Amino acid sequence: MPPKVNLQKCDGCRAESEALCVQICPGDLMALDENNGKAYCRSARDCWDCMSCVKACPNGAIETRLPYQLGYYPAKLIPLVGSNKISWTVVDIHGKVERFTFKNRND
Amino acid sequence: MPPKIGVYLCHCYGVIGKILDLEKLSHQAGKWRGVAVSVHCPALCSDDGLEVIAEDVRQGRVDRVVVGACSPAVHRDTFLRLARQVGLNEHFLERCNLREQCTRAHRDQPALAMAKARNLLKMAVGRLSPAESFEPVSSSTSRSVLVVGGGIAGLTAAENLARAGVNVTLVEKSPFLGGKVARLHRYYPRFCSPRCGLEVLMARLLATGRVTVHTLTEVTGVRGTAGNFTVELLKQPRYVKDTCTGCGACLEVCPVEVAPSAVLPPGRQRAIEGPGLFPYPLNYAVNRVFCRGKSCSRCVEVCPAGAIDLDQEEDRLRIGVDAIILAAGWEPYDAGRINNYGYGRLPGVITNMDLEVLARPDGPTGGQLIRPHDKKPVRRVAFIQCAGSRDKQHLAYCSGVCCAATLKQIDYVRAVAPEAGIFVFYMDIRTPGNLEELYRRAREEHGAVFIRGNPYAVEWDPVAEELVVTADDTLSGSRVAVRAELVVLATGMVPCAVPAFERLEKDTTGFITGHLPCSPIEVRRAGIYVAGCAQEPMDVSTSVKSALAAAAECLATIQNQSVAVPPVVERHKCDRCGRCVEECPYGACSFDTDGYPAVNPLACRGCGICQGGCPLRCIYLPGFSSREMAGLIEAVDPGSMDEQPCVLAFLCANDAYPALDLAGTRGTSYGANILTVRVPCVGAVNAGWINDALLSGIDGVLVVGCRTTECHYGRGTSLAESRVNNLRETLQRMLVEPERVQVLTAGIEDGQSLVAAIKRFVKQLQELGPNPFKE
Repeated sequence: MPPKVNLQKCDGCRAESEALCVQICPGDLMALDENNGKAYCRSARDCWDCMSCVKACPNGAIETRLPYQLGYYPAKLIPLVGSNKISWTVVDIHGKVERFTFKNRND
Repeated sequence: MPPKIGVYLCHCYGVIGKILDLEKLSHQAGKWRGVAVSVHCPALCSDDGLEVIAEDVRQGRVDRVVVGACSPAVHRDTFLRLARQVGLNEHFLERCNLREQCTRAHRDQPALAMAKARNLLKMAVGRLSPAESFEPVSSSTSRSVLVVGGGIAGLTAAENLARAGVNVTLVEKSPFLGGKVARLHRYYPRFCSPRCGLEVLMARLLATGRVTVHTLTEVTGVRGTAGNFTVELLKQPRYVKDTCTGCGACLEVCPVEVAPSAVLPPGRQRAIEGPGLFPYPLNYAVNRVFCRGKSCSRCVEVCPAGAIDLDQEEDRLRIGVDAIILAAGWEPYDAGRINNYGYGRLPGVITNMDLEVLARPDGPTGGQLIRPHDKKPVRRVAFIQCAGSRDKQHLAYCSGVCCAATLKQIDYVRAVAPEAGIFVFYMDIRTPGNLEELYRRAREEHGAVFIRGNPYAVEWDPVAEELVVTADDTLSGSRVAVRAELVVLATGMVPCAVPAFERLEKDTTGFITGHLPCSPIEVRRAGIYVAGCAQEPMDVSTSVKSALAAAAECLATIQNQSVAVPPVVERHKCDRCGRCVEECPYGACSFDTDGYPAVNPLACRGCGICQGGCPLRCIYLPGFSSREMAGLIEAVDPGSMDEQPCVLAFLCANDAYPALDLAGTRGTSYGANILTVRVPCVGAVNAGWINDALLSGIDGVLVVGCRTTECHYGRGTSLAESRVNNLRETLQRMLVEPERVQVLTAGIEDGQSLVAAIKRFVKQLQELGPNPFKE
């Protein structure tokens, strides 16, 4: 399922050479809409939910829509990126919340 | 090589030592990883205390130092001097606030104060372990400056800089130097001719040999940053070669008469113009607007030096300079827009600049006070002050010099017409300082009549052929109608527009005032300075002073004795997104040849807004690398606060941190569960640090900065607010309470209200319960 862009939070990475989500998507699926200057996914079917765009966005404007086979509403999978750790908040279809924090070497 | 950190705790002669058990603290600190030495002294700022640190550094027992003592805002120079003396890099010295923000504020909670002190020290050690050392950077400069504008401000700045050894390029849009001042008849306070002062200035300027002057030249493009500007210039053709001797034969034969202004008749002016009384440059210039071109060519034929070449073309130049001084000056407000005064419609209505032209011996009336259009002698003159100024429909501001200019012109009138009636319609007479003397002279010696009322109309009486000015005299309460042959409108000043500099920030008046009051000369774009009336309406003395100020500021940039370290870019992490370049308020960050950001040390003000916005945390000021900040945040023990919520607060160094220090100094007490980090500006706070804090189990994060409009760096607080708002939306989706992160603002003296806001925040956290990420 394609990522959903929050149009209020997205600023189109204005004046930057390339928007961050556009830069990082391994399938080159993100693009900036010419009309409003904000990001959108050009090809929903080809998105494989790697969530690189979600992690890269500096404003946290992108959210993954989970495929219904994995978990329909209210299921959520939301990352929060720190300097040397990343935390995943997992909400299942019953509303149960679990959080997993992993250290990485990104500092 | 593993770091050898020395932790030095200060009793502060008991102020700290009576509340905190420093023996226990230093003993605990001595066991932490990376700490080689941990001691406590009665007073670290004393010679003995400093010597303890110095000796440890000299003997190689420590190579990084944590000073746990008073606020970093105090004794700044003491410890910096110590670092320099023993050869310790200043970025290896970390100050820990155990006084104003610990013992002073938590006298009634010694146990919690101990926990806070331990946390603060651990944070300092955690930050210092991965720290790097940096030396101030300087870049090479060519020591060249561009001065835009050849009026008195531009000439003064150019002469001053050239005398200091700088190469100056001066560009002037009109064919001749001198600007508006060269056209004045006299200037105050000495009533001497401006040509005298200008000649002296010009002689000194030419003597330096370092000023290149381009007249008929405009700036069409500016690129770059301080130390490295590239400027495009467009030089209009003069149509007169350098062989011109200034004899004026061309002027005699030119058939086209040119009027000096919309209401004055042509005098000796023609479509080819000479420099007048201030001959710089000497060469005449053809006025393309009025000249009939090659079909006429009378001047070409008559010129004895064959200097006129009507085939000349425009020229484009490109120069590289370190800095730019903008001294493009002013224009008079268009008096034709003030409908009820009839400028341009009624004969005999002129502006104060027109009167300057009339008063000159080489003007259209030969300096006599006669009405220009019909040569009738002027027996009565009426001056109208604030014509189109202090008026919502025209210029809302006061131009400051029109009152003194009119009083000066009253002197002109008296000199040629001792019996003339002089009337001044005014709202207020603004003559600060000793200009009051001009006002006294106008009233007592020249017998001018001052009527306090703003005239609502100037009308023409066709029978008597004179003007009638009607006003309500607000002091006597009666209606007054003055009949005069000449009405002079004292109009205000508007800045000259220079399209290449259009995007520099202006204030509501349209002038480029800079960031008042702290840096009036330098605009947000580093390396560009404003002088003279381009900055704000001012008289000639003040213009000269402002030009000298701009030259001094400019020189400080060019001399390039850097004292600060600009942000560091970790290229291996950078993805060249360009957000730092976009968000820098000073345009100090630009892309280098590889596309990576490079910060110009001459333009950087050290605000850290670039580091605050970087999504990958790969650009940072010394002390704020992602490793140092992660080390600092992970050193916090959120469970050590005795059931209180643990709060991490980032406070800006300009207002918020001193405000909290002030609260401590005054003895205001608040919870000891607030751990503070000092940042140069809240714009420097990176969202990643807030994420680290929450993920480490810290219950709440505060970002405290200056009030939005008072931020010293302009956009720091508003950027922090938008970043935190974005984070809060994400937190909400993650089912973490967004109220855990807040932005507060405080002024430097608002210690009490800041403490109250912090207490409200802590209470809110208590209601929310512990952070979901807390173990």
